Amino acid sequence: MLKVENLTVKYGVIPAVMNVSLTVGRGQIVAILGANGAGKTTTLKAIMGVLRPASGQISYQGEDITHMSPSNRVRKGIALVPEGRGIFNRLTVEENLLLGAYSRSGNDVIMKDLKEVYALFPRLEERKKQIAGTLSGGEQQMLALGRGLMSKPQLLLLDEPSLGLAPLVVRELYATISRIREQGVTILLVEQSAAVALGASDYAYVLESGSLKLSGKPEELKSLEDVKRVYLGG
Amino acid sequence: MFSWSYFLQQTMNGVILGCIYALLALGMTVVYGILRLINFAHGALITVGAFFVYFIFFRAGINLAASLLLVLGFGGLMGLLLDVIAYRKLRGGPEVALLITSLGFYTFVENFMKMVVSPQPYSFKTPAYLAVMYKTSLLTFRSIDVFIIVSSLLIMFIFNLFVKKTRMGIAMRATAENLEVAHLMGIEVNRVIALAFALGSAIAAFTGFLWGAKYGQIAYDMGFLTGVKAFVAVVVGGVGSIPGAMVGGFVLGLAEILSIAFLPTRFAEYRDGIVFGILILVLLLRPSGLMGVKEEVRV
Repeated sequence: MLKVENLTVKYGVIPAVMNVSLTVGRGQIVAILGANGAGKTTTLKAIMGVLRPASGQISYQGEDITHMSPSNRVRKGIALVPEGRGIFNRLTVEENLLLGAYSRSGNDVIMKDLKEVYALFPRLEERKKQIAGTLSGGEQQMLALGRGLMSKPQLLLLDEPSLGLAPLVVRELYATISRIREQGVTILLVEQSAAVALGASDYAYVLESGSLKLSGKPEELKSLEDVKRVYLGG
Repeated sequence: MFSWSYFLQQTMNGVILGCIYALLALGMTVVYGILRLINFAHGALITVGAFFVYFIFFRAGINLAASLLLVLGFGGLMGLLLDVIAYRKLRGGPEVALLITSLGFYTFVENFMKMVVSPQPYSFKTPAYLAVMYKTSLLTFRSIDVFIIVSSLLIMFIFNLFVKKTRMGIAMRATAENLEVAHLMGIEVNRVIALAFALGSAIAAFTGFLWGAKYGQIAYDMGFLTGVKAFVAVVVGGVGSIPGAMVGGFVLGLAEILSIAFLPTRFAEYRDGIVFGILILVLLLRPSGLMGVKEEVRV
């Protein structure tokens, strides 16, 4: 579904990601783990097209999208739920959701998808006329996810979805992420807290200072001593 | 001696000046919201719009309705070109580059007008049907006053409808709040910005006509102080807020007119000082403006 080859991204002259390659198969949940500043967010932004890679290739469904604009990638079915959720605080909940469908046409299907998102997150429907800035952190994450789904993505990129949420809310969030996958959406997510992400994913990559350090199935990674020490806090 | 009639009369004058500031502030607040740019070029559009109407209406004799449509189109086109030619390439660079560019564009237009048109003010003769006097026991007004208030309210109403209800309008508010996430939504941010410039500039050019028709005189440098005061209205109302821009415009217009109306005559020449005094006061008491929301720190 997604293939990233030898990706290098620089901020000015400073490389944030160096020679990273990864693959995400259709229907999988894949996690990118790593400490703060390891280049996880940068990788996602490059896949979305908001950052231009210095070198490397990104292909999606067999097509080279390395130089495609973000809005065209959205049209192709890629959506990024940014770190810190990126909710439009001054807009209403419903306006936020409808913006998720900005790149699509056809009012009827969009309204149908809106209903589906409301079915997935009933809280959002209760609060649809409310200004999004007044939602709680958990609700904002739901809104960010729902907004991402409104673009009808085939590949959903999630940047630190559990950041700042209470453990109970995180569990609920990951249950929702699994349900989204069951609906046929492929998910690539980035997390600092490895334990929760490993529990939900089929495959994981570990980044360190911008380079790929390890990769493997969650159970393999969990058994590795240094992963335990560095990322699982054990 | 306080007289209700005098008070009402001056309030009306304040509302009219407020309409002009509010219209200008609309375009400035949207552009500021998206680009963090104090768009001095907005002032240039006032001058250019006023002279545009002067030449096509008074000199070329095109009828008023057509002239006004043309000035809206002309202003919109200027705004669009300014964005595409001058501003677009600077995005992503330091914000001050945009500011200097807009100041440069203003300076260019002012000097161009001074050279080509005249350093002397032109008298802007209001057509007879806009100068009809109406007298009531409390209020005396001309048809141009009614025209300014009605057309301004109409423009504000349509503009609000646009940003509240249309897909593009919602995208514009979203872009103003968070440009990067707007990108992620698949919003063509450049198109939204170009539209914001075009709309704001069209309104500014139209406002140039209102100014000329109301005050009877236009000049090559008329846009500067008016533009700056419109930005004061933006700040007073709360930067980036559209309702705030309108409220700020009216507050400023009323304060400017009422203060000179009720202060002793020798204070009249301090009217600009009063406007900036209000700015300082608002910034001291409510730094985010009357209707503003606290600015989130962008990292």
